[in-house]
Amino acid sequence: MTLIALVLSIILSTGSLAWGYAEVGLMFVTRWSLIFGALWLFAVWQNWKWFASVGLFASMLAAAFGLWAGFTPGWMIASGIFSLFAWDMTDFRRRQKFIAADDDSRGMERRHIARVSMLIAAGLFLATIATLLQVRFTFEWGVFLVAVAVLGLMQLFVWFQKK
Amino acid sequence: MQRFLFLSTIVYTLLLAGLITLRGELIALAIPLVIYLLFAFWNAPEALNIEIERKISNDRSAPGADVVITLTIKNLGGNIDEFLLEDKIASHLTVRFGSPRHLLRLPKGSTHTVAYTIAGPRGTYNFDSVHIEASDPLGLINIKQIISATGQLLVFPDVRKLKFVTIRPRRTRVYAGSIPARAGGAGTEFFGVREYQAGDSPRSINWHASARHAETLYSNEFQQERVADVGIVLDARERANIFHGANSIFEHSVAAAAALSDAFISQGNRVGMLIYGSYLSWTLPEYGKVQRERMMQSLARAVVGESSVFSGLEHLSARMFPPETQIVLVSSLVNDDLRVMIQLRARGYQVMVVSPDPVKFEVGFLSPSSDVELASRVIRMERDLLIRKLERAGIQVIEWDVSRPFDQAVGPALMRPHVSTSRRM
Repeated sequence: MTLIALVLSIILSTGSLAWGYAEVGLMFVTRWSLIFGALWLFAVWQNWKWFASVGLFASMLAAAFGLWAGFTPGWMIASGIFSLFAWDMTDFRRRQKFIAADDDSRGMERRHIARVSMLIAAGLFLATIATLLQVRFTFEWGVFLVAVAVLGLMQLFVWFQKK
Repeated sequence: MQRFLFLSTIVYTLLLAGLITLRGELIALAIPLVIYLLFAFWNAPEALNIEIERKISNDRSAPGADVVITLTIKNLGGNIDEFLLEDKIASHLTVRFGSPRHLLRLPKGSTHTVAYTIAGPRGTYNFDSVHIEASDPLGLINIKQIISATGQLLVFPDVRKLKFVTIRPRRTRVYAGSIPARAGGAGTEFFGVREYQAGDSPRSINWHASARHAETLYSNEFQQERVADVGIVLDARERANIFHGANSIFEHSVAAAAALSDAFISQGNRVGMLIYGSYLSWTLPEYGKVQRERMMQSLARAVVGESSVFSGLEHLSARMFPPETQIVLVSSLVNDDLRVMIQLRARGYQVMVVSPDPVKFEVGFLSPSSDVELASRVIRMERDLLIRKLERAGIQVIEWDVSRPFDQAVGPALMRPHVSTSRRM
């Protein structure tokens, strides 16, 4: 079940990206997206778990560029979300190796996929609303986001120090 | 934490990019990732409060026999969505059934039991701790901990039963046993003829000798049989033990020492054991089943070692063994050992050498060629010469071709009294 979810999410992520770029006529990016998707699937077959992080980063970068360039936001956000799903599934597959035969393998798998799917759906919903509302940046909104970013970075810095 | 950091970095990069470019779509792209991160953060495990209890089905086992390890995990803290448990086991042990790694869900106050079956070769295996890792449902935030859950598994060497081992030490102990004591009395072995004494059984009268003397009756006298002190010396020096990959002649020496110690104890003797390797591991001479257990434990722990101090056998002190006792050296022998053996013999010890044949052992692993044959012949001659010198000094040498089981190859020779020729089994 996890493998099917993983393969589907990779196809959907790279497919959305390719579709979004194809819509604006950037065919070479479309081709590269599809090649990248094939490579990601090959990495799944070869069990290269590190490749999922590369895939997430590359998909997010391409999606962010597409959004910045004004391409269809739906495809770009869908690509980013499904790459996150694929990244999660890859790590879950790694953790699944620790599940012994007498553990509740099926239950854990079902719970995890359901949980991540709901999170992703919620994220997609909020992202769609945010995009539809076309949130405009005011000074206060900018200050708030900067404060959140700074707080988050500080938190990260503290964790990093502890580690 | 690395995954958490990686995702956080992407989120903050998107947020900053959105702020710098004043594009809300970039922030919208970050929203699903933020939700994902927040979910992990809210469900992160609290400080762990876990108790683990270990049970070993059989802490004294035979090589290759199944032993079930049971771990009972009690969660005295909060809910743990993903609980990874890994019991570190020695590399020599093999897992037969189950797994020492488990991924579980541990609700608050719950108890979970996991079990797996292992088997291993001779040795002592200590279980110290269990590695645990608790994480949120998404595996982003982990807490690792090592929990003490001790246990010990002793895998004793395989003991081949020997019917009887004939030894003739010069001195025996006072208790009745099976070793001829060189003194007349009650026994089974003929000792001599003496004048009839009142109280002698008529069955003991030697009628042939009495017929030759008109006035006197003669009685047969039998040899008293008593127990004796036996010291078994297991040679664990690296230079005296050949390794070929995972195989070592030392394992055969251990098997021989186990069979001999079992036989000597069963015969009622007082037996001690010295393992002579990188250090001296000494089991003081005692009688009985408890002593057998001690020696088996000692043999389970025995490992080959090298030390410049104990490279020769000269540290086999005469004070380690009671005078005039039987010493049994289990060793594949090196040339330097001759002098020490002769010295022991000169001090009045009866010395028996049980020697697993290193030449046959090593040749068995080599592909046949003229060079191998020539080398084995040269080494064989050297070894024969060493054995002949030992026998000339009155030392009983029993060679063992390790391709055959110890009891079958050496058992009959051990039952016969010592004669001065070498026996190659």
